Amino acid sequence: MGKEFCALFKKDCRMLASGKFFQMAIGFLVLYTAYVNLGYIRFMQMPPYHVYLYDPDGTQTEKSPLVHTVSSMEDMNTALLSDANGVGLDASAGEVQVILYKGAEHVDRHRADYALSLLRPSSSPAPEVLGTNTPEQKARKEIACELLFFELAAVGFLGIAALLFKEKGMGVIRVHAVLPLRKGMFLLSKLAVFLLSDLVFAVLLTLLNVGLADGAAVLPAVLLQTALLSFMMALVGLLCALLLKDFRQFTLAYLVIAIFAATPVFLSANTSVKFDWIGWHPFYHVYIGLKNAYFGTAISPIYYAGAAAAIALLFLAVLLSFRREIGKEG
Amino acid sequence: MKGLKYQMKRVLRDKFCLMTFLLPILAAAALNFMGAIDLSSLGELHFGVLENELSPQAVTWLERYGPVTVYGTPEELAAAIKEPSTNVIGVKADGDILKTAISGDELDIFQQAAATLPALYDQRTGAEPVKVLTLERPDILENFQDIFIPAVLIVAMFMGCTFNAMNIISEKEDGVAFVNEILPMTPSQYILQKVVVGFLFGSLSSIVTACICFRLSWQNFGRMLTLIVLSSFVAALIGLFIGRCSKDLMIGVVYIKLVMLVFIAVPILCALIGAGGPLADICNIVPSQPAFEGILALSHKNTDTALKDAGILAVHCVVWFAWYLLISRRHKHNE
Repeated sequence: MGKEFCALFKKDCRMLASGKFFQMAIGFLVLYTAYVNLGYIRFMQMPPYHVYLYDPDGTQTEKSPLVHTVSSMEDMNTALLSDANGVGLDASAGEVQVILYKGAEHVDRHRADYALSLLRPSSSPAPEVLGTNTPEQKARKEIACELLFFELAAVGFLGIAALLFKEKGMGVIRVHAVLPLRKGMFLLSKLAVFLLSDLVFAVLLTLLNVGLADGAAVLPAVLLQTALLSFMMALVGLLCALLLKDFRQFTLAYLVIAIFAATPVFLSANTSVKFDWIGWHPFYHVYIGLKNAYFGTAISPIYYAGAAAAIALLFLAVLLSFRREIGKEG
Repeated sequence: MKGLKYQMKRVLRDKFCLMTFLLPILAAAALNFMGAIDLSSLGELHFGVLENELSPQAVTWLERYGPVTVYGTPEELAAAIKEPSTNVIGVKADGDILKTAISGDELDIFQQAAATLPALYDQRTGAEPVKVLTLERPDILENFQDIFIPAVLIVAMFMGCTFNAMNIISEKEDGVAFVNEILPMTPSQYILQKVVVGFLFGSLSSIVTACICFRLSWQNFGRMLTLIVLSSFVAALIGLFIGRCSKDLMIGVVYIKLVMLVFIAVPILCALIGAGGPLADICNIVPSQPAFEGILALSHKNTDTALKDAGILAVHCVVWFAWYLLISRRHKHNE
C-alpha cells in the first residue's frame, strides 16, 4: 500500500513540475512579497489631522507644538488644498474661525473640536492598550492572510483544475479503472501533493511577509487552517474536473467562485462594512478561521467540526464522481 | 455574408464570449455606483461603552463624533476593541473624567483621537461657540475614476480580442480550422470574417460602457466613437494573432491574460508616473496607450490630443492588418 502511494505521489509531483505549477507558485510568492514590502506597508498609513494656524498678532500663546503656523491666508489655503483632511484655524480677526474641507458630519465635528483643543492643550490620561500588535504588525498579518487565502482559493485553485483537466484530457483517470490500485489512493495522493505544496507556500509567505519572529509564533495555527482550506479547494477542484466537461466550462465556474464568493468575504472581514447574510457564506468562516490564526484569536471547536464535516462530504462526493467516471470506461 | 452569419451564430452560443462581453459593462455600472458612495464615512470614529457605565449625557456627547455601541460585559467590549477589522475605541468613566482603551494596532489617526478624547470631554463646557467654515471638498475619487473609467473602457475594447482568440482556438480544437484551410476562401476573406465578429462585439461593449460612464456632447461622442472603433479594430486583430499562436485553450487563456495585463498596466503606469517625452512615445507601441490617452483627453475636453491619438491608432490598424495578412499569405504559400 505504501509503495502504491509512493509511486502515485511521485507521478503527481512530476506532473506538477511539468505543468510549471511550482514556477507559477514561486512567481506569485515573489510578486506578493514585493507588493507587501515595497507597496502595501507604505500605503497603509494615516497620520493624525494636521492643524494650521494663521495668527498674525500672536494671540494664541498656549498653543500645542502640534499646530503648524502659517504666515498668510494664501499659505493656509495651499496647505489645506494639498492636505484636505487638515484643519485651518484663522485667528487674524480676533475670534478664532475654523476652516475645513467638508467630509462626513461626525468626522468634521471631531476635526474642528480637536483643532480647537490644541490651542488650549491639557494633559489627558493615555489610552489603555489591550492588544499586542503594532499598526505595522497588524497590516502585515492582515495582508499576508488575504494573500494566502487568495492564493489558495483563486490562483492555486485555477492551477489545480488546469492540471486535473489535463490529466482527464489525457485519459489518465480512465486508465486507473484497469490498474490494480485502490481507487481512494488516486485521490489521496493528489490531496497529499497539493497539501504539501500549499503548506510550503504558507510557510514561506508567512515568514517573508509577517517577519521571522512574529511569523514563527503564528505558524502552527496558520498551517492547520491552510491544511483545511487546501483540502477543501483541492476537493472542489477535483469535483469540478470530474463533473464539468472541459476547461472552458470550468473557467465559467471559476469566474463565479472568484467574483461572487471572494468579494463579499473580503469586504465583510476587513472593513466595517458588514452584511447580515454573511454568516451563511461558507468561505467567510474559512477566511475568519485563517484570520483568527494570524491574530492568535481562539477558534471555536464548532468551526473545526463543521470544516471536518465539509471535507468528509466533499471527499465522498469526489469519490462517487470518480467511481462514475471510471464506470464510464466499464 | 453567409460565413459571417455562421461566425455570429458560433459566438452567440459561446457562454465564455458572452460573459466577457457583459463583464466590462457590469464593471462600468459598478464604478458609476461607487462614485456615488461617500467613502469618508469609513474614517469615522466608532466608540464602544459598557452598559450603564457612562452617563446619558456622556453618551450623547460621544454620539456627536461617531456611532456608540453598548456592550453587556467587559469581555465583549475588550473583544470588540481588539477585533482587527474595526477601529473601536473603548470609553470608560472614571469619576467625572473619561478614559479610553484601544487595541494599539490602529492607524495613527485613531490612536491620536483616543489619546485626546478625555481632554476634549474635559473642555466641552468651557468652549465658546466658534464659527466653522466648511469648504466643498475636492472629489478624491474623481482622480481615481479618471483612471478607472478609461481602464474599464480599454477592457471593453479588448473584448474583441478575447472573442476572436477564443473563436479561433475553439475552431482549432474542433478541427474546423483544418476544414477552413481547404475551403475556397482567400486569406483576406478569412481575416475579414474573423475580424468583423470581434470588432462588432468589442465596439458594442465599449459603446455601452462609454454611455454608462461619460456624459458627452454629440461632437465629442463622435470623437469617442472614432477612438472606440479604431482601438476595437486593433484589439480584434491582436485576437487573431493570439488565436494563431495558441495551441490549446489553456495556453490561449494564459496569452490573453498576459496581453490584457500589458494593455492595462502600460497606460495606467504612464498616467501614474506622468511619463512624457520619448518614454511616452515608446509606450505608444502598445495600442491601448493612445486609446487611453485619447479617452482621458476627451474627458478633459482636449480635442487636439484626442485627434493625434486617433491618428496613432489608425497607424496601428494599418500595421497590424498588413502584418497579419503577410503572415497568412506566407503560410498559405509555404503549403
